[in-house]
Amino acid sequence: MIDRRRRLAALAGGLAAGLVLAACGSTADNASSGGGAGGVKTDKGVTDTTITLGVMTDRTGVFKNLGEALTGGNELWVKDVNAAGGICGRQLALEVVDHGYKADTAKTLYPQLEPKILGITQLVGSPVLAALKQNLIDDNVLTAPASWSSEILNNPNVMMIGTTYDLEIIDGLAYLQQQGLIADGDTIGHIYIDGEYGGNGLRGSKYYASKHNMTVQEAKITSTDNDLANIVTGLKGAGVKAIVLTTTPGQTASAMSNNAALGLNVPVLGNNPTFDPALLQSPAAASLDKLYVAASSAPFSSKTPKAVEVANEYKATYPDKPKNAGAQAGYVESLVWQAVLEKACQNGDLTRAGVQTALKSLTSVTTDDLVAPLDYSIPGAPPTRGVYIAKVDQNAEGGLTEVAPLFTAPDAQGYKAPHQQS
Amino acid sequence: MSEVTVTPPETEAPPTPAPRRPRNWLKIAGVTLFLVLLVLFPVFTGTDVAYLKAGQYVLIGVVGAVGLTMLVGQAGQLSLATPFFLLVGAVSYAVLAGDSGDSGDLVGLGLPPVVAAVGAVVICGLVGLAFAPVSGRLRGIYLGVASLSLVFLGLYLGQSLDMLSGGTSTGRPPPTFAIFDFRFANTEPAPTILGVAVQKQQRLWYLFLVLAIGAYLLARGAVRSRIGRAWRAVRDNEAAATAMGVHVTRVKAGAFTISSAYAGLAGVMTALWLDLVKPDENEFVGTYSITVAIGYLAMVIIGGLGSIPGAVAGAVLVNGLPQLLTLGATEFGWFADARFGGPSPVLISAFVYGVAVVLVVMFEPGGLAAIGRRLAHVRAARPTRGGDRG
Amino acid sequence: MNTFLQLVLNGLGKGAVYALLALGFVVIFKATEVVNFAHGSLVLIGGYMVYATKDALGWPAAAALGIVSAALAALLIERLLIAHARNADVNSLALLTIGVDVIITEEIVRRLRADIPFIGDPYDAQPLQAAGLTVFRTQLVALIVGIVLITAFFLAFRFSSWGVAMRAQAENREAAALMGIRSSRVTATAWLLAGALAGVAVLFMATQDFSGAGLGRGTHAIALIAFPAAILGGLDSTVGAVVGGLIVGLTEALSAQYVSFEFSKSAVFLVMLLILVIRPSGLFGTRELSRV
Repeated sequence: MIDRRRRLAALAGGLAAGLVLAACGSTADNASSGGGAGGVKTDKGVTDTTITLGVMTDRTGVFKNLGEALTGGNELWVKDVNAAGGICGRQLALEVVDHGYKADTAKTLYPQLEPKILGITQLVGSPVLAALKQNLIDDNVLTAPASWSSEILNNPNVMMIGTTYDLEIIDGLAYLQQQGLIADGDTIGHIYIDGEYGGNGLRGSKYYASKHNMTVQEAKITSTDNDLANIVTGLKGAGVKAIVLTTTPGQTASAMSNNAALGLNVPVLGNNPTFDPALLQSPAAASLDKLYVAASSAPFSSKTPKAVEVANEYKATYPDKPKNAGAQAGYVESLVWQAVLEKACQNGDLTRAGVQTALKSLTSVTTDDLVAPLDYSIPGAPPTRGVYIAKVDQNAEGGLTEVAPLFTAPDAQGYKAPHQQS
Repeated sequence: MSEVTVTPPETEAPPTPAPRRPRNWLKIAGVTLFLVLLVLFPVFTGTDVAYLKAGQYVLIGVVGAVGLTMLVGQAGQLSLATPFFLLVGAVSYAVLAGDSGDSGDLVGLGLPPVVAAVGAVVICGLVGLAFAPVSGRLRGIYLGVASLSLVFLGLYLGQSLDMLSGGTSTGRPPPTFAIFDFRFANTEPAPTILGVAVQKQQRLWYLFLVLAIGAYLLARGAVRSRIGRAWRAVRDNEAAATAMGVHVTRVKAGAFTISSAYAGLAGVMTALWLDLVKPDENEFVGTYSITVAIGYLAMVIIGGLGSIPGAVAGAVLVNGLPQLLTLGATEFGWFADARFGGPSPVLISAFVYGVAVVLVVMFEPGGLAAIGRRLAHVRAARPTRGGDRG
Repeated sequence: MNTFLQLVLNGLGKGAVYALLALGFVVIFKATEVVNFAHGSLVLIGGYMVYATKDALGWPAAAALGIVSAALAALLIERLLIAHARNADVNSLALLTIGVDVIITEEIVRRLRADIPFIGDPYDAQPLQAAGLTVFRTQLVALIVGIVLITAFFLAFRFSSWGVAMRAQAENREAAALMGIRSSRVTATAWLLAGALAGVAVLFMATQDFSGAGLGRGTHAIALIAFPAAILGGLDSTVGAVVGGLIVGLTEALSAQYVSFEFSKSAVFLVMLLILVIRPSGLFGTRELSRV
């Protein structure tokens, strides 16, 4: 009494699927090793004419605004490099996939992407990076993550582009103290998203507090908690003199709004991802003026010449894309890749192992001041320690004006990152 | 695939014996062919393991959904707690088999992986049993929402107990699964089947396949046995069941325990599939989130409440479709305009299973299982409700 | 002390909105014994209409349109789907609403694209401060609107013919039908009302003051937090919905400060669990008798 026809249908479906899959399977893995054009050694992702880099971004999930801008930055760089004749006699190409900030989706996409690429120039999402950590190590895929947490530096395949979150906060607090907004012995509040991002920021404020006899009042939240009224009420009760945020932009708005509404009115320090220009259109806009942003890359409206150039090119190429610092961050991610590729080309080795070797030999990658010079020679250490400090400005494009370019606090110099080896 | 055949003869008019024999042969041939195809699946996918990963993900769904359909469909207890038990299963495996981590701040007992996997399943069963004071007292929607609190509790505990879970920052890697000396990892040299190397992903596929088939057969056995009859008696009428001598509270607690153990096994599989145990950052999006709870419920509704083969079909649809669409999206350039508000794989999958749930409840409460039966028996005169549950 | 008072104020203000949401669950459950899992998507429909039309029509007209849209959407779900699923029992119908909820939510979120619009223009982010305490204007307006609506609801429930019919139907469906009460009309009205309540609630939910976020997936999620409010009060008790809403709001605010913020959401569910273990039908719910 079982249905024969249903099972037959299922079998037919299974067969058809199997054939399709078999067809897919036969086309995969076209990588070959050995000598390429110009006597350069290559393996995956590099042919005689093309170098392909992967982009695993978020175009449909919670970080789609950031993902779009980063991808735009990556694409601009490819355009610029190819116009200038490419690298190592080869044109650059990107293979872009969208995981929607979901680790399970990324886990499935990765094996499809991996054979086609040399390395990854943008990988959005700490859950995604965590899920792919072992894959990246096993396949030796050098990756520039769109995450600036020093916690991930124990992965030798991570190429950090700029200053890490902990250092952003240390520099930022030092700046507030330098401006006389906080003093030794104060209590400061820190609202952070539990996870690699927020936890790394908290490490920074704890370190700074320990050096300056401050007390940190911690409040842990998840990435979807947007109403921070009860937390700010509690911080007010604890008498904090400043609030540090490692949050999403929406949460920043709530913290700022309640900071004003509850009559607390203390300065607030956020790092790169806490601010989005879209906040200036929200009901919290009027309360944002107390927000300082310490960021490893220049704000969208930065006066740094290269930043202006990238911003203008970005606006001209992508009039519809969101305007945020992701554009420059994406561009700079790829610029560092460029330095690595050029070095690897010089060494005559564009294999995955070759780019790793090239990276470790770089001690001062300059990016036209989009980020501070980067030193990749110390395993586990952030490649730089300087930040741009900006303040919210309704009139500036991108909503921020720089108040201190490339600021490095003495405390930041002495800080030892969690996986730093020397 | 065929529990309809087991309907006790005394409650059914005896079928005409003539067509029985050829039908059984066909059935055996069909099942064999189907199994052969599943075994050969890694050969079809070849080196393109992306489709193999998608297949593994479906098998995880199969184990979870089979466990849930017993609880919801057979025993009549609504549960949205599946993601919680997935989390408990994954964390338990990592704790039992793992070590103390690079920095030594994790709890790890270093047991052999097989022992750890079994232990994780047992732990989930016990946690499910501990929920008995609630699951035994509440019914229907009240139980559904009460079980939802476990998902919130799981999120909180996962974040707080980072010596167990590894914390939301980095999580912790689950130890490589191994049966004695056979490791489910890449090795050189590797055995081959028809020229395809059986490496980590192929090995995991076979492991998951064996687990899923085992889970399926066990569930079918339970449903056909005394246990299954007690579940259905409690589902249909608690008072009547008591009158017939069924210990209602015990039966309810038992169903929750078994279903939790199934979800725990799916959790162990999830950990191995992701190569990672990591609590979610929030309760709505993630591996152990409310979205997953709704997804599992959708699997068992679409498949037909209580039907074991139906749960398999539901898992294929709910877990398989988004994965296939995502792979197709990059392979064939589908959904290029997703970011401009166009359809995305997630959106289309959600529409498909949302619509499927609505249609099933409206027109065919027996779900895909009943539809399949209809197609097979043109004479489908039997009422759909409870058809495949007997 | 100020901190405590402020937290109580925060909690009561949010509780008023939870109560409006919980009342929506209760109205439908009383009339039909169906739990409407699609309530969150009704909230989204109302909010989306406000967002889509407020620039053209102005806020008051857009708000009215939002309420009407949510109400009509609820009516459509009942007339087109629920009413036609005659063979399904109430638990299956609840599952049906899950399917509806998934579809509507994904569609609205897709339509919103990158936007997370705030829709509380007249009152949002304009706090009132006095004696070191702050009252969020959104919550104050919500409280007043809530009190007015809930009072009106109680009066209608007690004195109008619809209220009598509905209570009769809730008491005994067959007997009510025999006495000439048109079940379909009572049911349809209940859905219409619940939808309107969702449309009102969203005007306060998608604000800086209440949720800190504009309309989006998060708004939908808040409706889920209102579930415990309805359940712990008792799904068939209107008083229970109001008390449940306030309990949820206060539990959230106080546990955030005195235990920890990340515990506050679990706390709401744990309080609900505790109440259910003691009273399986909630604080004010009628005890279900075993029918043989």
